[in-house]
Amino acid sequence: MVEGRKKTVAMMLFSAPFSSQYADHMCHMAEKALEKGYNVEIFLYGDAVHAQMSEQRPKTFFPVGDAVRRLIEKGAAVYSCEICSIARGYIKGELKDGKKDYSSTKVIEGIRFCSIYGFVEMLGRADKVLSFGGS
Amino acid sequence: MAKLVIEISHAPFGHENAYSGLFAAMGWVSVGNEVLVVLRGNGVHVARKGQVDSLSEINLPPTEKQVMDVLGEGGRIVAERSSLEARGIEEDMMIEGIEVLETDAIHLLILEEGERVLTF
Repeated sequence: MVEGRKKTVAMMLFSAPFSSQYADHMCHMAEKALEKGYNVEIFLYGDAVHAQMSEQRPKTFFPVGDAVRRLIEKGAAVYSCEICSIARGYIKGELKDGKKDYSSTKVIEGIRFCSIYGFVEMLGRADKVLSFGGS
Repeated sequence: MAKLVIEISHAPFGHENAYSGLFAAMGWVSVGNEVLVVLRGNGVHVARKGQVDSLSEINLPPTEKQVMDVLGEGGRIVAERSSLEARGIEEDMMIEGIEVLETDAIHLLILEEGERVLTF
């Protein structure tokens, strides 16, 4: 367990699931961090937004979608880049009654969308930052 | 606010990495934080000046403008000398304001300032 104030670890994933193991590693690391008593916040960026797809059914690969769902159930806050999600067809990205109407049946329940400034705020409040993918 | 270090090791245009790294750098620095962008490997191609208007030519975001924006907001951008030399990129071919550093100096910078490090 983390001693004293509960610390927050922010994780950025920049690679899609299945094409590499970055998503698997991030999910395992996030699960361990939750186990150890950390607050966990995750940002899906670029192709990593595919980790939010609700109907993933890999036959042999690590089931990233199930892992993301489990992380949310255990209390991880999973944010997804809104502009990346709009580009890849997950959300319409339209304003409705002055609010962003980002409901989508294509996305695992509990995923939250935010702009790059949401990610900046996440980085600012994190005690630790881990980056997965992109290299 | 602690400094954010963003390491870019992919060239612009072929992959989304350089654009996304600079986009995050701009978001961080534009709200009053400090950022250090490290260009290494193929990422040093980001440093080249005189890139075309990529948005109209090839429908890809212009990283040269992003570099200018990050520098304009007070961000620091450094490029690894050995990576530049390996690719034949000389200092007069680079966007003004990008510093050239030896590998050791970059390692020290990351160790000293890299409380938050993102790789692209």
